[in-house]
Amino acid sequence: MSAWFIILTIGLSWLGAVCVWLAGDNRPRAQHALAVCFSLAAGAAALALIPNTADKAVISLDAGSVFGLFTFVADGLGVFLAVVATVIGSLAVIFSVEYMRGEAQLGRYYALVLLFIGSMAGLVLTGSLFLMFVFWEMTALCSYALISFYNDDPKAVRGGIKALIITQFGGIGLLAGTLAAYVYLGDYQINTLLAKAQTLPGGVLSFIAFAFLFAAMAKSAQVPFHTWLPDAMEAPTPVSALIHAATMVNAGVYLLARFYPAFAEVAGWKTAVLLIGLITALLAALTAVVATDLKRVLAYSTVSQLGYMVYAIGVGGVFASQFHLFSHAVFKALLFLGAGAVIHATGTRDMRQMGGLRKQMPVVSVVFIIGAAALAGLPILNGFWSKELILEGGLENGPIWAYGGMVLGAGITAYYTLRMVSLVFFGQPQGKKQVHDAGSPMKTALIPLAFGTLTTWLLVGLFGSWLQATLPYHELHTMTIGEMLLRIASEPATWLALGVIALGIAAWLLRGRLAGLAPALSGFGRAAANGFGAETLNRGAVALTQRAAAALQVTQTGQLNWNVLGIMAALVVVLLVLAGAA
Amino acid sequence: MDMNALTNLPVFLWLIWLPLLWSPVVYLIGRLARRRMATDTAVARWVALIAILSTWLPFAWTWQAFKASGPLSYTLGTITLRLDGLSLLLATAVLALSTLVVIYSNTYMHGELGESKYYAMLVAISGVMVGLGCAADLFNLWLWFEAMAITSYLLVAFYRDQAASLEAGIKYLVQSAVGSVFVLMGIALVLAQTGTLDIVQIQAAAAGQSDSWVLLAAGGLFIVGFGVKIAIVPMHTWLPDAHSQAPSGISAMLSGVVIEAGLIALLRALAPLAGTTTTWGILLIIFGVSNMVVGNLLALRQQQVKRLLAFSSIAHVGYMLIGLGIAIYFGEAAGAEGSFFHLLSHTMMKGLAFLSAGALLYVMHTARGEHDPLLIADLAGASQKYPLVALVFSIALLGLGGLPPLVGFMSKWQILVAGFETRSLMMVGIIAFVALNSVLSLAYYAPMVNAVYRKRPSTAVLSGQPVPAMMNIPLVLLAAAILIVGFWPSLVNGVVQPAGTALMAAFGG
Amino acid sequence: MTTEFTIIAGGVLCLLGVGLYGLLTVRNLFQVIIALQILVKGAIIALVAAGKISGQINLGQSLAVTVIVADTIVAVIGLALAVQVKRLTGSLDVKNLATLRR
Repeated sequence: MSAWFIILTIGLSWLGAVCVWLAGDNRPRAQHALAVCFSLAAGAAALALIPNTADKAVISLDAGSVFGLFTFVADGLGVFLAVVATVIGSLAVIFSVEYMRGEAQLGRYYALVLLFIGSMAGLVLTGSLFLMFVFWEMTALCSYALISFYNDDPKAVRGGIKALIITQFGGIGLLAGTLAAYVYLGDYQINTLLAKAQTLPGGVLSFIAFAFLFAAMAKSAQVPFHTWLPDAMEAPTPVSALIHAATMVNAGVYLLARFYPAFAEVAGWKTAVLLIGLITALLAALTAVVATDLKRVLAYSTVSQLGYMVYAIGVGGVFASQFHLFSHAVFKALLFLGAGAVIHATGTRDMRQMGGLRKQMPVVSVVFIIGAAALAGLPILNGFWSKELILEGGLENGPIWAYGGMVLGAGITAYYTLRMVSLVFFGQPQGKKQVHDAGSPMKTALIPLAFGTLTTWLLVGLFGSWLQATLPYHELHTMTIGEMLLRIASEPATWLALGVIALGIAAWLLRGRLAGLAPALSGFGRAAANGFGAETLNRGAVALTQRAAAALQVTQTGQLNWNVLGIMAALVVVLLVLAGAA
Repeated sequence: MDMNALTNLPVFLWLIWLPLLWSPVVYLIGRLARRRMATDTAVARWVALIAILSTWLPFAWTWQAFKASGPLSYTLGTITLRLDGLSLLLATAVLALSTLVVIYSNTYMHGELGESKYYAMLVAISGVMVGLGCAADLFNLWLWFEAMAITSYLLVAFYRDQAASLEAGIKYLVQSAVGSVFVLMGIALVLAQTGTLDIVQIQAAAAGQSDSWVLLAAGGLFIVGFGVKIAIVPMHTWLPDAHSQAPSGISAMLSGVVIEAGLIALLRALAPLAGTTTTWGILLIIFGVSNMVVGNLLALRQQQVKRLLAFSSIAHVGYMLIGLGIAIYFGEAAGAEGSFFHLLSHTMMKGLAFLSAGALLYVMHTARGEHDPLLIADLAGASQKYPLVALVFSIALLGLGGLPPLVGFMSKWQILVAGFETRSLMMVGIIAFVALNSVLSLAYYAPMVNAVYRKRPSTAVLSGQPVPAMMNIPLVLLAAAILIVGFWPSLVNGVVQPAGTALMAAFGG
Repeated sequence: MTTEFTIIAGGVLCLLGVGLYGLLTVRNLFQVIIALQILVKGAIIALVAAGKISGQINLGQSLAVTVIVADTIVAVIGLALAVQVKRLTGSLDVKNLATLRR
């Protein structure tokens, strides 16, 4: 049964892509309708997988030679992320009906979105490392094409190619790890790697572990590979929601969570993961404080929240990280789509030109504030519970300084979230444009997400027992809802974290008194805009490559005499190498 | 010779002779028809189509015979022709691509001066390349190789009223001729040392002479001599000129099969010397790496589409060389299979890239009587007017960049697996570098895809003419092949594995 | 035998050297083709000599004859292209034949 639902989840998305493409750009209504129908159907198929989870491969095809068995497994972790991808993806598609109305080249837009959703579902449902890499690269391809959807805008093209190159660069890690596993284990099955990890030679296992970490860092935008995510904001906003909540960035965290049992014992791996998460969470949160572009603030908040998830894995909290991923997917989709509605209405992304939108866009402002509160970690929204679970796991199993850093990060998150909300929705209107509230397709997407933000934490027990049942290699620290309530309410750590969050809020409210700090922060703002040196690194690498290419171009003189010299040089080199070897 | 002897000829010979027999027929009919009828009827294109389609018949029989009883051979006097897995691979690629190019050229070359000659050469070169794949002694090998070179000189310098086309032709001719002399010197050394030119016998004779400097020098001369045709760096300098100046169908043939035929000729010549040293594999790997670096970096700064594609061919030869180096040095059959798979996939992808770029060149410039090159800037907004060509061009480019689920990814993967199979730390480093190069190549493929999908069309697009219907056929077929084999790579196992086996057997002894 | 071989080897190397030196230095297109011819002549003598050394005289000589034929075709095509270049550009200098570069 589940085999069919897997095929439907991936297949319906891709079939939809083809159908929308074939419908042609002169029939936009049909394209909107087809995209919505197919994405909803794929979402339904993914939901139907929930009662059909299993820990064994349900589809297995032999692709022969070095490509191994093409397998698909409907276990809890995979199905969970497939549901996130398809359901939130379909909400983004519904939202697009209004957001993209009247745009040209809708066929390309929807085809890529549906291909993206299907590829992400494939990435998490496959049981073969080879296919995982294939889907991994396909998501990179789709994100590139969608980020640079507005091809006439050079910034969009640059952002798209940057995302492609950085995630592909990280992909080399996944490739190397996969190949090493294949060579030493004889097949590509994820379960083989999990089962036999400890039989691998120590060096090989740590090679695989760090190679996968490298890949996850690029995909999940961890420092220093985070710079592509803010630049990806040139994409149409529903695509941003897709990349940040439903697909793409979740893949890195998924990779770490999936292989945690195999790599946990590798010396230094957990510490490295923890450190990367901590640094990313803090730096990204600080950058969000100084950003003025609404979508960029949200982008940095994603980077920062991904840092929390990575940190959670570093301290052994696989369950907490996945639970936070779940919450984050819901509230971040809500925030992005809400921001999309605001941008669609005001025509700008600069928060300094918004203000006072609360009265003009009542529905959007309410749902956006719900999402923002979840991001800030205010009780009793879903972001609160999952973040507290991560922090408590960190206090219990991780070093205290890292815990301190993460709590501080929670305070900064509260600060920039409040700053964003008050700049956009409160104060005096700065824009001159007459603004209207969102239309019905946008509301159709926003309201379920707002409802989810309020309630998904209630599923904790179900979610945990469901993951536990189908992941034989993972030792999860799951709990029922009652346990969670009791634990979080009784832990002093919770109150500490809430105290810090309150301090963050107070800092924004009292910002007038803290004005003396502003000059100190300006240098920091410049460093942040530069991605803390990562951007310099990127630019340096690009410049170096271009310079090398320009230098090499000199050798292509076009002179016949010179060309013959090349042949003779080759002869000399070959004979010398042969003489040296003989 | 009576009829009985004729019908007893092995069927694979017809695969070679049929195109060679057709070639003068195509030319003569073309010329006669031109003299008798109105000037622009050009019957040659249809005769060429019949000629190339008729060659599929012996191909199908050869295929069955090969599947049934393995390698086929035929000896006449001292000359032996042998069809093994490697020959079959080359024959498949050559025949498929030349068929598509004949269909493609139907409108592309229509009305050009010397159209009949063009088709005669095109049909002839496909027979010559199949013959090259079947050569079982060095003399034969050189002869087919030279025949291929001569035919391709004429095709490269086809536009004889264009200075650039002549320039490319002359550089190609001189450099190839120098390479050819080196090959002859290698043959002379082998003959002097072993007293034979038959590949099997050389192998037996060379087995006891692992330290013979004469044979080592001969191998070196083969690498350099054939290397000119394969465009091994630093002998590659003719390639960007020739491939960008030739008519687009010929660019596709040159990049898609001619350089690959050179590669197979090199393997044939080097195989009997395998026992003399293990350095051959290392040399191939070194050249593979330098090809990738030079090809990718130079492609990065090109403004002309066809020239860029030509540089990317140099880089792709690098992947094949590395796979072959792994196969030869480490004895990893997966490396050979990966290389041959990549050879096939490169034929499809580069063939499609040149044909679709050529289609755009045709509708924007050539059909309007201009000889301007196709610039990347001209591509802007091409999808508005030419959605199909834009789509298949993007598929070809992204496939070349190694993105799944396209065939280029699968073949590169197989080479990378072979690299890891060696479990050598050095090789793992090289493989990481190969992967890095693949990422780098996206930096020049991706902007072209972006340009094609812009909303504001370039002036060249605005003034462009519609794409002729017949030109679409080869484009769609190639794009479909790239997608289908990309989704299910084992479809080509039937061709790739025998080729890998043949190579390992030739080098393993 | 040894002296004979030395003389032939020396002659072959001389021809190859002259040919390659010519290809590296001459600028007139016709001279380039002539240099190419000298180069090929070296190879032809080498083939004949190789046949003699290995006792396969027939093989060496038939090879040489074939090479002469093929080489003539190449020379003819080369000269034809050179003539055409002269007609179009008015120059035979290979230095002017470098519009395709970078």
